[in-house]
Amino acid sequence: MIAARNFIFNLVKFDRLKSTKCIRRYSQGKCPEEETPPCVPFNPCAPAYPVNFCKPRTKYDVTFVYINDVPPKSGGKDIVDRASQIVFWTELVRGFAVTLGHMFKEPATINYPFEKGPISPRYRGEHALRRYPTGEERCIACKLCEAVCPAQAITIDAEERDDGSRRAIRYDIDLTKCIFCGYCQEACPVDAIVEGPNFEYSTETHEELIYNKEKLLGNGDRWEPEIASSIRDTHLYR
Amino acid sequence: MSLGKYLALDKIANFFTVIKQNGGIRGSLYKMYRQDDLKDGVLVGQDEFGNKYYENPRFFFGRNRWVEYSDNFNMDYDGSQVTAEWFGWLHYKTDLPPHEDPSRPKYKWMVPFTENMSGTTGQYTPYSTTRPKIEPWVPPRKSSV
Repeated sequence: MIAARNFIFNLVKFDRLKSTKCIRRYSQGKCPEEETPPCVPFNPCAPAYPVNFCKPRTKYDVTFVYINDVPPKSGGKDIVDRASQIVFWTELVRGFAVTLGHMFKEPATINYPFEKGPISPRYRGEHALRRYPTGEERCIACKLCEAVCPAQAITIDAEERDDGSRRAIRYDIDLTKCIFCGYCQEACPVDAIVEGPNFEYSTETHEELIYNKEKLLGNGDRWEPEIASSIRDTHLYR
Repeated sequence: MSLGKYLALDKIANFFTVIKQNGGIRGSLYKMYRQDDLKDGVLVGQDEFGNKYYENPRFFFGRNRWVEYSDNFNMDYDGSQVTAEWFGWLHYKTDLPPHEDPSRPKYKWMVPFTENMSGTTGQYTPYSTTRPKIEPWVPPRKSSV
């Protein structure tokens, strides 16, 4: 390898020597070869004189500015530099290819109002008061949920109804106090208060989140199919 | 793996299926504007609002069931417009759509579903469901005789 390189260098050196035989520099009026040979010792990494420096193409005294024709350097560092330049330029293309590939890839997110994430049957969302299949409300105002509520979000007033049964006349839940721990539905002996699956009950004002008994019963009447389905699915945990 | 699939030719076939199922180029552009997404799927059912529920197991779990809100809602669609019957199916709680689930109760006291009415005239306003414990004294009226 080194022998071959030296051979090529010697060839070039010989050529250079031959071509600088009869060179005149107009500025000095004599060929630089006459003093010291300008092109030897030949160093491929740093030529002593630019190429064609000794071969003026005009008879006028012109100072040429060397702009090109540097032979590619062949040092180990230079070769590595050139190779890495090629690699990094193609890296641009390869990077854009990754971007293009991701444009056609299936996204990892879901398109919310149209696609919804999975939730558990034991999900604890908006509260609801349930009824018996006859339409009779389940809540008997035992106040166990009120007692167990760690945030004290539930307020119950009990009263005797006309038929002599004990019922709640006030059942208020402040959903802004509620921490959705689910203790109320665990405490309830008649499965009256449940935390239904609904989580899309955001409101524009605070007062709309202070639910009274009518609102909770209304939630139960609207969500009964889903609540019953969830309770059937979770019967092993009850 | 067939050659066509290796060359991703099935993706091109899917593209044309999606365009066709969404009602041509005009319909597809409208759906892109309204839903930000174009998908092909099997119509599983429809609820009382006219929302249509689709399924396509080609998409991964979480994207394989979706709802296309009724045209009556126009651009005012909302997540709370999915009815209680379809809620469980859309949220992957059950694989049975409501019309194939015999155990879903239908009592006569159940009321029709409403969306989240907050911010409209139909919104809930809290009120007391009891008589006040302290009532103001109303002076007895003098007889006009």
